[in-house]
Amino acid sequence: MIIFILRRLGIMALTMVVVSVMLFLLLEFTPGNVATKVLGPYSSEEQRTLWLEAHGYFEPLWVRYFSWLGNFVTGDFGESVRFKVPVAEVLWPRLWNTVVLGFWVFVVMIPLSLLLGVLAGMREGSALDRSISVTSIITTSIPEFASAVFLAAIFVFWLGLLPGTSTMTGGFDWWQLVLPVMVLVIYDFGYVARMTRASMAEVMTTPYIRTAILKGLPYRRVIMRHALRNALIAPFTVIMLQINWLLSGVIVVEFFFAYKGFGALLLEASLNQDIYLIEACAMVAVFVAAATQTFADIGYTYLNPRIRFS
Amino acid sequence: MSRKSSKSMHPYVPELKELLRNGKFSRRDFLSTATRLGVSLSAAYAMAGGVLGLCASTVARAAAPKAGGILRCSMNVKEMTDPATYDWSEKGNLARHMTEPLVRINKDNLAEPYLAETWEASEDLKTWTFKLRKGVKWSNGDDFIADDVVFNFERWLDPATGSSNQGRFSSMTRQIDTGKKDKEGKPVMSTVAAEGAIEKIDDHTVRFHLNRADISLPEALGDYPALIVHRRFSDEGGDLSKNPVGTGPFTLTKYSVGEVAEYRRRTDHPWWGGDVYLDGIVYIDHGDDPGPTIAAFASGQIDCNYRTSVEQVPSLKTIPNLVTYETVTAQTGVARMKITEAPFDNKLVRKAIQACMDHTKLLELAYQNFGAPGEDHHVSPIHPEYFKLPPLTQDYALAKKLLADAGYANGLKVRIDCVANPTWEQTAVKVIAEMCRPAGIEVVINIMPGGTYWDRWMTTPFGFTSWTHRALGVQVLNLAYRSGVAWNETSYSNPEFDRLLDEAGAILDPRERSKVMKKLETILQDDTIIIQPFWRSEFLTATNKVRNMYCQVASESHFNKVWLG
Repeated sequence: MIIFILRRLGIMALTMVVVSVMLFLLLEFTPGNVATKVLGPYSSEEQRTLWLEAHGYFEPLWVRYFSWLGNFVTGDFGESVRFKVPVAEVLWPRLWNTVVLGFWVFVVMIPLSLLLGVLAGMREGSALDRSISVTSIITTSIPEFASAVFLAAIFVFWLGLLPGTSTMTGGFDWWQLVLPVMVLVIYDFGYVARMTRASMAEVMTTPYIRTAILKGLPYRRVIMRHALRNALIAPFTVIMLQINWLLSGVIVVEFFFAYKGFGALLLEASLNQDIYLIEACAMVAVFVAAATQTFADIGYTYLNPRIRFS
Repeated sequence: MSRKSSKSMHPYVPELKELLRNGKFSRRDFLSTATRLGVSLSAAYAMAGGVLGLCASTVARAAAPKAGGILRCSMNVKEMTDPATYDWSEKGNLARHMTEPLVRINKDNLAEPYLAETWEASEDLKTWTFKLRKGVKWSNGDDFIADDVVFNFERWLDPATGSSNQGRFSSMTRQIDTGKKDKEGKPVMSTVAAEGAIEKIDDHTVRFHLNRADISLPEALGDYPALIVHRRFSDEGGDLSKNPVGTGPFTLTKYSVGEVAEYRRRTDHPWWGGDVYLDGIVYIDHGDDPGPTIAAFASGQIDCNYRTSVEQVPSLKTIPNLVTYETVTAQTGVARMKITEAPFDNKLVRKAIQACMDHTKLLELAYQNFGAPGEDHHVSPIHPEYFKLPPLTQDYALAKKLLADAGYANGLKVRIDCVANPTWEQTAVKVIAEMCRPAGIEVVINIMPGGTYWDRWMTTPFGFTSWTHRALGVQVLNLAYRSGVAWNETSYSNPEFDRLLDEAGAILDPRERSKVMKKLETILQDDTIIIQPFWRSEFLTATNKVRNMYCQVASESHFNKVWLG
């Protein structure tokens, strides 16, 4: 197990290095750009040259990359071009905001989708299954930018029940969290519910469930004791992958509701070619992707005896 | 050089009054010219009132203001480190409530005394003396004095600062040889402050010695990078957000870049400008998309926004209790052609494109008719020296003939670069492209992010560049069309044009200047280096409880006299 984890960590570090080199090459190829971005389009050539010189941009590319990498591993992510503050100063609070959003999405979405998935999968083809499946397919096929507009039209413009933006400028506000969470849950619960349903339906057709039913166990007990444990292994992996999806999936929602999270930050950084901020965001995203996958693998191994004992 | 005593009036003022009396000068022209000559704004309003028989109190007097409350405004909260390097009016607004300019451009597009109480120019317009306001206190307890102004100017003109003010006050700079050579062996020149350009007379008087006449000095001092910081700004870290020392009525209490900026009214010292009604101001960043701002209005989370884009005007009108303020500005965009690049080096091609344009239709289609049609010479009807030329007309037969004469009888394909945002720019370009089509000119539109466009705005053969408001026509022509200047994006070079521009720049009377402007406008329009679709209006929106609000021509937040009803 330890070797497995170490190998995973090694792959993760390698992925991060490769991504960072690629990004660095893509973004830093023309240093002139950076000076224009900092000093604005109306700066003179002389002013830009002086700025580049003062900020070490005339060093060779690899020198700059390694000095950036050296700083990065010691926790100094450089300074954001757009915000003119250290990257860490904007990155961590924004990431935390997204964690808060993601947490509440999961708190609502996981029980809801598992419940619906199990209910649908228990009796494949029943009226309940049909209605849950159709609802799930419909909600999942509506993209967030459409459901966000639709929900805002109802709850903000028509009923006036909920705040239209979620900037949280006056401190944390539950009401401001409702719409972003609702949009993400509506988009995502259908997918997880469908996966749970498929897994449940598959388990329900296995011989041991048939045996349990035939030997006269109460149906409730068959589901709770025998079916669920096995049916939830597949959704576990799916849910772990949703963390990864959330990190990029929140971009639209955060942008729409002006929620100050990681997704909005990444978008802003990309639109403004804020190189150090993009690098740091990308590193975070790669780390989260690799870490959740590692965690999912470990969890899966633990949950599935066939893998654990092989 | 003759100079008047500080108490005397500029010798041209009596003549100005006479022109106003005879009806040869509009009230607006009178106010604009008189204030430029150092007459205080209130005195100018009073003079105009005296001449025209109006009461000075016709100057806006609204109902009794109510104190208290916090104004919540939607605006991008950008970085605000150093006013000298600001390149967005949002940054200027973030700093404006703490740091102030010497001169402010008011809602009538007039230069109004701010930290400078009065100013006057010598007759040759090369020596300008600014009297600074007394009794102004910095928020750290220091007095505001001439040393502050001298410090700011020296910093702006230093190339290492990277301030656009270096270009704005280029009449106070000189070129020096750095002793270095570039790759081609040519000496590398540097632009620095001209010796003796900035002179401190006493603690409250500063004199500027220009190397050429410049009638637009007061207006240039009203631009957002010319906000005055404390004389120890650089020594104390050079970061306004971390060390918010200012002369303004508010102080920064919370700042999180990209999220929020909060201000509270200063209590340590009364503001020099009298009563301030708001207890505080909050700027909330809703991102680049206008959607959240509309939602924030709908759910009562904001009281006003910084700017309403033209596309938003209709949707905001559907929300009750909102008022949208409009102001006609000299803001515009130009589809400019680089005359050193093929096929735009051929004047016939440029004229053919011009012949395809219907400017009135352009304004209607691309900007919902809010503004005025352009005339391809970059002088606005609201500029005091504007001269109206005969209107341009769409003529496809002429366009085809010009194109054939230029050797493109079978049609021509060109590419234009433009920015994705703000969207009116790409809309204007799309309409231009459509108008070119019937003449056999195919315009391929290359839409790119702002950052990418601004990297190539000076070099692209054909590009659509937005230009901000400037109070005088000569200011724009000097910045964009004079031979060899830094922002000459068309590479236009015409000695006769430069000569006439020098001539116009030394004429104070806008009526006299407009005679020279007629020639300048004609030359530019005939050489057809730009297609200028329209002059556009600017808008901002506020709820009806926000009082004394207006949309300033350069989107500056003037909140010191705003109150909440």
